[in-house]
Amino acid sequence: MRLKIFLLLLLVCEYPSFSFAQDLMSILDSVQKPAGHEKVFATFKDSKVINAQSTETVKKRCLDFNISHRFGSMGVESGGGPHTLYGWDAISDVRFSFDYGITDNITIGIARNKRLENIDGTLKWRFLEQTADNHIPVSVAFYGNSAITPMAKSSFYLGTVNVSPKITDRIAYVSQLIIARKFTRYFSFEILPTYQHRNFVKALVNSYNGKEESNDLFALGAAMRLKLTRRMAILIDYFHVFSDYRKNNPVTPYYDPLAVGIEIETGGHVFHINVTNALGIIENDFIPNTTDSWTKGG
Amino acid sequence: MIIAISSTKSKNKHPMKQTLVFITALICTHLLSAQIYLAKESEISFFSATPMENISAINKAAKPILNTATGDVQVKIVMQAFQFEKPLMQEHFNENYVESDKYPDAIYKGKINEQVDYLKDGTTKVTVAGKLKMHGVEKECNFGGTVTVKGQQILLETKFKIHIADYNIKIPSLVVKNIAEDIDVTVNALLEPFKK
Repeated sequence: MRLKIFLLLLLVCEYPSFSFAQDLMSILDSVQKPAGHEKVFATFKDSKVINAQSTETVKKRCLDFNISHRFGSMGVESGGGPHTLYGWDAISDVRFSFDYGITDNITIGIARNKRLENIDGTLKWRFLEQTADNHIPVSVAFYGNSAITPMAKSSFYLGTVNVSPKITDRIAYVSQLIIARKFTRYFSFEILPTYQHRNFVKALVNSYNGKEESNDLFALGAAMRLKLTRRMAILIDYFHVFSDYRKNNPVTPYYDPLAVGIEIETGGHVFHINVTNALGIIENDFIPNTTDSWTKGG
Repeated sequence: MIIAISSTKSKNKHPMKQTLVFITALICTHLLSAQIYLAKESEISFFSATPMENISAINKAAKPILNTATGDVQVKIVMQAFQFEKPLMQEHFNENYVESDKYPDAIYKGKINEQVDYLKDGTTKVTVAGKLKMHGVEKECNFGGTVTVKGQQILLETKFKIHIADYNIKIPSLVVKNIAEDIDVTVNALLEPFKK
């Protein structure tokens, strides 16, 4: 009797492995665990949205060589119109950049810009990546850009008196956090708290409110990608610059940089058609220096 | 099944005989579980050849599984585990072609048509009939291959073509010359007895 109970017990123990053997897929599911925290891909399609940086990086050991252009203003009021073929002839900024992926999450770059003759170095470090199961709900990257201008002294210090020129005057820095989330396969959104510091600014005063230009600027950016079809998306990015000097400035009107674009994905190439009021390409330029308005055809 | 029948048959009258039946049954269950072979390592790759561009990707994460008693063979392929030569290709593959956020894996369920002697070393040519579910579409998928038995290990090898339009994977007209309509798929898997 005892033996019988023992054998029955053995049988019960063995039974699961017997029935288990019947369904191959359930064995597979047990050994091939769902990959767990699968990373979300293609929050944005490029390392930049339009003006704003995205959380995308250059892939490991890839070099990204870019020639970017900002054409001139389209509207007559901003110096565009038919005589420049609506800005086509009046290129405002050209940027040559080399970006290299040290790892999939760290990109370094060097570039030269037409505007202000800026030469800049960049670093992007994505330290958090959103996962499909929301274990990590957002991707977060740090972006830094340091720019130095080798402009002629006479034009760099134009309109200033009693300055003792230093090479460090010519450097400006941008530090930025990029917090992005791909909400659905059709919608991605990010915000970009941004701090810019220029070592040297001219002592300008806003005659409307008496506020002075400052070395430090804070800006908050936002960007989104909305896919309309599998192959087409709308891109928008916007920066609000917190600066009293820039508010209602009667001499030099300042505007928040806003950019709108269409992205067409062809299955291998991605085309972007972008429009913005920012003449500069890099943050160190378009955050302090956007003086064109959408309403005036900037 | 064997166990159920044997235990109902046995009566208390012959304890020795009953014990023997049980032991036989247990051995049977052990044999049954030894009929399952799971990939120790595998390589599933595909290759698209056009005059414009060759595209290939390789997936080493899949684990084909085989029941030698029935000839059933199955595999679950995680699409995101395909590694491409160029990272951007991989992104396009996942985002726009197979849409792996929506359809994370492809599943093949098939059966080896021929009888293979898994106890004897050697290579047997076989045909496999089954269905492949990929990108939300299930299609019949039959192919030929070889089964090589070497001691406790079984090597499965096959090469076949997949017509990608069958799986509702659309190629944009701009790159239609860069991507082949039929993709060559190669599978190599080394299987070992599955132990729970």
